[in-house]
Amino acid sequence: MAFSISDLLVTDDLTILLGLIAGTVFLLRTFYRPQPLVHPILLGRQSEVAKVRNPGESAVYRNYGTGLMNRFPLRPHKDVHVLSDLVRSDLEAPRTLWSTKITNAALQDRVASFGTGLLRLANLQTQESNVLLLLNDCIEFLIADLALSSHSIPSMTLAASNLLSPVLDTHPPSAIITHAEFLPTLLELIYDAGEEGRHHTIVVVGEPSSRVMASVASKVKVLLWTDVEREGFKVPKIMSPLPKPSDVFSVSFFADSDGHVQGTQITHTNITAGVAAIHALFPVSALLSSLDTIVSSHSLGGTYGRAIAYVAIFEGTSFATTESFKLFRADEVTGKQDVADVLSAQLHTIPSATILFLKPAHVDALVDAILREAKKSLVLNAFAWRHKNASISEGFVSKDTLWDRLVYDAARANVIGEGAGTVRTVIVGEGLLSANVLTPARVALSCPIIHTLTHPTVAGPAFALHALDLQDFSTAEEDPTKSFAPVGPPTVSIEAKLLGVDDSAVEDGADPTGILVVRGPPVTKQLSGEDLESSSGYVNVRTGESTSSGNADDDDGWVNLGFKIRVLTNGSFRVVA
Amino acid sequence: MAFDVGTPINTALLLFILYSVQKIVFPSTSLPKEIPHEFRNGYSWLPKSHQPTVLFKTYTPKTLAPFHGKDNGRILLAINGIVFDVTAGRNFYGPRNFAGRDASKGMAKQSFDLDMLTPIDQPLDKLTDLQPDEIDNMKGWVEHFSNKYIVCGKLVENDVA
Repeated sequence: MAFSISDLLVTDDLTILLGLIAGTVFLLRTFYRPQPLVHPILLGRQSEVAKVRNPGESAVYRNYGTGLMNRFPLRPHKDVHVLSDLVRSDLEAPRTLWSTKITNAALQDRVASFGTGLLRLANLQTQESNVLLLLNDCIEFLIADLALSSHSIPSMTLAASNLLSPVLDTHPPSAIITHAEFLPTLLELIYDAGEEGRHHTIVVVGEPSSRVMASVASKVKVLLWTDVEREGFKVPKIMSPLPKPSDVFSVSFFADSDGHVQGTQITHTNITAGVAAIHALFPVSALLSSLDTIVSSHSLGGTYGRAIAYVAIFEGTSFATTESFKLFRADEVTGKQDVADVLSAQLHTIPSATILFLKPAHVDALVDAILREAKKSLVLNAFAWRHKNASISEGFVSKDTLWDRLVYDAARANVIGEGAGTVRTVIVGEGLLSANVLTPARVALSCPIIHTLTHPTVAGPAFALHALDLQDFSTAEEDPTKSFAPVGPPTVSIEAKLLGVDDSAVEDGADPTGILVVRGPPVTKQLSGEDLESSSGYVNVRTGESTSSGNADDDDGWVNLGFKIRVLTNGSFRVVA
Repeated sequence: MAFDVGTPINTALLLFILYSVQKIVFPSTSLPKEIPHEFRNGYSWLPKSHQPTVLFKTYTPKTLAPFHGKDNGRILLAINGIVFDVTAGRNFYGPRNFAGRDASKGMAKQSFDLDMLTPIDQPLDKLTDLQPDEIDNMKGWVEHFSNKYIVCGKLVENDVA
């Protein structure tokens, strides 16, 4: 052989240099990997499972943080029992609600004045009257809600405007609060209903035109909001006995999947438990505080939207809602759920949004727009996309990386405007994201996206992903456009089980799949069939009465949410299409 | 300095550096073929199987009897019509008198005698001849068992099931 061993192992200066570079590169690759935001071992067990299950059902699942033995958290703080306790008097800083900058003390004053004025001028009686709130999301809605609840007068709200006539037929209110623009339509409806001898009292927010005022019939009394508040301001405030937490303070009407009108009764405990559940969505390192600004696209007429509004009140954050869910407008335009809608919330004078509660259509539109903007810088975007995806598959996402600075910050600023840099969490509810949108959404928005499962009868989310969970279960073989993203374990105050489960499949180790029923403090009680009988005598059937066991769905308090759902082995749930 | 990579060590080092740099600049973004079952194998992982749960069954004295644990199987015990899975307490309730039987009377009277048990093919012991304090004792045992062991079924008469 021409070479000897010593010839092969000859080293020179170049070797030393290359050796140093190789060592550095090796250390870089090994230790400079992004650390996952939450250790994956914690994501392997997200719910606590009961040890025993009944035949045909699955076991009962609870959040791992709550555990099977503990009681559910009923309130975000030990002193919060009823709705008015959510307005904390120890928080003194002002915050902006829609366009009104107000402190908690001033809010409590306005609530007390309005309540007193309403009781005097509209002749309402505590616990006997009920008031229909036909308001878009505005501060008057919250003031009215808080005032009525403190005097134990149930309020009624609608989740959609086409429910108005059925509700007026079946549950005639003692008083109605609405906007000036909607007054003509409302008067028409009342006259059409033609209820003789029935006196209506309407409180109007804003200034109705004199023409409308002239057309008011003699049996209808129209009061202005400002007059009512002023009246209540002058006189000593009427104090009513404190409501009990289990009292119903509001009834929310919504249309279920069959189109029937359903009503659900919200008690103080439901809302405080919902506030506690939403509070628990945020990780300890990033809790809600009074420095945050919440933008919600969920209407306050529904239980979920109401719970979000009260979280904002409780935490002292600024709050606004988007325009597309103006339920009561004089024109017939329906809002589109897209980027412009999300930005419409910023038209109010709130500080830049930090937390967004959006619907899936909003998220789809936003992510689409941002990624399209990012694709404009072709070469850099290819690298940025690759690197971001790689770090998300390691469990890490952040707004401060190199790729954000190069590509995504600019894209977000072009789409969302200057407030783009402040968004720190996006929570998706009232709809389901498809599985293939979740990771691109995380890349585009570079912040935790919490996918939740909501229902009009549950205050707050029923299921929510762990805030720092970035897992993506798409594999190379299945088609991700067909399935929904997982919704995570039950929230801290909900327990869930599945009905209609195939026992033999589950005993063999398959994923339990069945109809979802839930129970817990945030779950509200639906009105029963007799209460919803409309004037034509047609009784509306609740979704729950068609469960396989044949029992009514509130046997032991379990409520059927109408979803077919599958449990994954790590305790996370996934809706089956 | 001459860039002589003719020497094998230099070539090897250079190739290693190029490979590592390529991995850093172009990270892999291919989706896995199947979901990993260990957290070490991937961030998006799922455990292989669900938490074990026991199906709540209705037992009769005849179907309960095989669960005496003599063959290292499950050990079941019934008190007051409730069936408990006491496999975890094998040392106490192992292949002895009460495994696979209705132990209500024995628990009430605090006795392990064989005459506390009724034969399998006869109707269940109605427990009408017990004193109130013995009934309380038995209820106390039911409470203790409910906290310590899994309630996995109920016990009915032989012909009812």
